[in-house]
Amino acid sequence: MDLLSLSAVLVALLFATLGSGMWIALALGAVGFVALATTVSTSAGDILATSVWSASNSWDLTALPMFIWMGEILYRTKLSEDMFEGLAPLVQKLPGRLLHVNVVSCAIFAAVSGSSAATCATIGRITLPELGRRGYDERMTIGTLAGSGTLGLLIPPSIIMIVYAAATEQSIARLFIAGVIPGVMLAVLFMGFIATWALVNKSRMPPPDPPTSFANRVVALRRLIPVTLLILGVIGSIYGGLASATEAAVVGVALALVLSWTSGSLSRENFKNALLGATVTSCMIAFILAGAAYLTAAMGFTGIPRVLAEWISSLGFSQWQLLVVLTLFYILLGCFLDGISMVVLTTAVIMPLVERAGFDLIWFGIYVVLVVEMAQITPPVGFNLFVLQAMTGRSIFAVGAYTFPLFVLMCAAVAIITVFPQLALWLPSTMLDR
Amino acid sequence: MMRRLLDGCYRSALWLAALCLMGIALLVGAQLMGRIVDGLLALSGRGAYGIVILSLAEFSGFLLAAASFFALAATLKSGGHIRVTMLLSILREGPRRWVEAGVLAAATVLASYGAFYLGRFAYFSWRFHEVSPGVIPAPLWIPQAAMTVGAVMLAVALVDELLIVLRGGKGTYRDREDAFTLGKES
Repeated sequence: MDLLSLSAVLVALLFATLGSGMWIALALGAVGFVALATTVSTSAGDILATSVWSASNSWDLTALPMFIWMGEILYRTKLSEDMFEGLAPLVQKLPGRLLHVNVVSCAIFAAVSGSSAATCATIGRITLPELGRRGYDERMTIGTLAGSGTLGLLIPPSIIMIVYAAATEQSIARLFIAGVIPGVMLAVLFMGFIATWALVNKSRMPPPDPPTSFANRVVALRRLIPVTLLILGVIGSIYGGLASATEAAVVGVALALVLSWTSGSLSRENFKNALLGATVTSCMIAFILAGAAYLTAAMGFTGIPRVLAEWISSLGFSQWQLLVVLTLFYILLGCFLDGISMVVLTTAVIMPLVERAGFDLIWFGIYVVLVVEMAQITPPVGFNLFVLQAMTGRSIFAVGAYTFPLFVLMCAAVAIITVFPQLALWLPSTMLDR
Repeated sequence: MMRRLLDGCYRSALWLAALCLMGIALLVGAQLMGRIVDGLLALSGRGAYGIVILSLAEFSGFLLAAASFFALAATLKSGGHIRVTMLLSILREGPRRWVEAGVLAAATVLASYGAFYLGRFAYFSWRFHEVSPGVIPAPLWIPQAAMTVGAVMLAVALVDELLIVLRGGKGTYRDREDAFTLGKES
């Protein structure tokens, strides 16, 4: 079979298996098997065993369950209440007032959690009722929450960055640090949008809360101290070269347990649920990575990625044009697939192309995380939309429509980091390497 | 009886996986404490003792592989493994059941195939005394056998689900999936 028809068969098989509801890891494995069985004479099963084994027993990947566990512990604390109380007085003076709490507390929680849906759910649990009670515009409340939740992916720690780093053999620590400035930039863009909207739509803003005294504001600020220490402990030790990603994650788990214990929410039940929840989630991701590793190995044998890279580069696209095409492709893919599958599927096929086009792989990682963030909020399949649908009872298409302005801002963020790649690359270049 | 036995197996394996993850945390934590103690010793002028957990990276990797595979079956049952349910949710229950059964049958074949080759891999590691390249040479068949056990349990869980669906029931994994995508999750 020539490569073109083989590619067509594999793509069709992938769509058929995924579409029929096959579990993603197994669907990737099935495509890998067919790719191998039709091209090489060595046993497809032996390649399966070696690639799954080397993908599963990885020191770098141990950061994954640890960061998930840390997030699961914090999800069961009163951290989100503390953040709301601490931040609300601070943003009272900005146009858009408490709507900014959505963005800022998502950004802060993102710095201790690696998941977009978890960030959205944790923050939404407190801001949705509080903002609703005060009469804030519901569309804005839901939309900014769904969008800001995606910061969980871009601001380290980040599950999707660990997945990308594992799939492309990049440094998790560098990728984490590279996400800091783009993450803050995106949060500022969101806040700018809220402020502009509030200035234009003055009539739709509720009356402000009664002003609080300076002393009260200071007291409220003290509630942000634990989370600040947690962030400094985890990200600071990675940036300072004191700890590898896994070590920082274990420190994070320990600090999260301490925080949970001192705030009185560490019960035996909570501990058990957090641990088992983390075990299940990390198993799900590790399984997909194992399936993807097999598919990547199989793809290497077929030679499809190399030929694709040669073909694309023979077309003479500039980096700009290539990115526009890739972004459109990712947005389309993101409507139907979750972020992890998007990353592992594309790294299996387009990485040679990306390297050949001369992209820095750390920069490309940040780009991929941004487009995956968009995937979280594009219906019909988007995890933040699912979360908010569950919390508000609105249909995912309605939630998607409320979030659309933030989607546009994310497209703008992609353009900005393309024009100024240093936004992503400068901070990691200043890291103190061990 | 059979039901309780199987569920007990999945549950125990999940706990085993959780213990592996706690093991990683404890090992890494011990190494960090060691480094801190070393730092303090160095500061007090006695010179660092050089506390290290030998082959920490390799053992953590093994524990992770074991954890990921031990948890496979329980994760499947609880609806933790993700898949695209968009097209399935359009179907009515009747035809959907046949598609689900087909998917489960195919998944069983795939998982069994993987389990067989992982087992073969572990067997050869055992026969040829393959050991890890680190300071402490650990036999590789141990984590590989753990992965095989997990893969076999996944295949068993898939057959389990297939039988439930064929008997006219609804897959256990769908409880959480439906709650999530229909927006009924509390």
